[in-house]
Amino acid sequence: MSLYEIGRLCLKIAGRDAGRKCVVVDILDNTFVIVDGDVRRKRVNLKHLEPLNEMLKLKEGASHEEVKKAFEKLGLSVWTTNPKKVGERPHRKRKSQQKAAREAKPKRKEKSAAQAVEGKEQKKSPAKTEKKKKE
Amino acid sequence: MPRGMYRSRTLRRVFVKTPGGRTVMRYHRRKPSKAICANCKKVLIGVPREIPSKMQNMPKSSKRPERPYGGIYCSACTRQILRLKARAEVVGGAQ
Repeated sequence: MSLYEIGRLCLKIAGRDAGRKCVVVDILDNTFVIVDGDVRRKRVNLKHLEPLNEMLKLKEGASHEEVKKAFEKLGLSVWTTNPKKVGERPHRKRKSQQKAAREAKPKRKEKSAAQAVEGKEQKKSPAKTEKKKKE
Repeated sequence: MPRGMYRSRTLRRVFVKTPGGRTVMRYHRRKPSKAICANCKKVLIGVPREIPSKMQNMPKSSKRPERPYGGIYCSACTRQILRLKARAEVVGGAQ
């Protein structure tokens, strides 16, 4: 038990973080400690740890930032996560929203759209007149 | 008499009940043997027993445990190996 004092550098042996180095940050009881460093900060059974030679100077319950500084002195990396931001994924817009976006487009495209509308009207108008004539 | 390729037992036979009520014999490819630990020969947990074509389409994380030596050594042997390696380093550092 005395091996696993606060600041003891350990190797994690079991689980997803196996093969990564960590530091004892807090001692809960005879079997469990809290661990941080190149692993996820979590409660760990001593059976899942292998003590190493080095000791780091850390306070009881040291924060992740403090552990990070101590690890960087030794030249070790620290477990980092970059969670996805909410709403990062492009969502499909509703048709009404799409229309609004189309209207907000630059002038050049508006012109072409206007021309197309005119062309349609031109085509339609002779047909209408023919129909009227038939009537 | 079935075709020649169906007369050998390379393909396993599966009896399937059709919607009409008949039982029909189908031929299926056999699954490969279970994955075992390279050290203690125990059957590995977390490694699916599927034909290679199905394994190809599976994500990597569902094909083996996500730890060093995952899918090769069992968890107990992995612990032993990591422990021995760490101890060798510690002894080397002391000298």
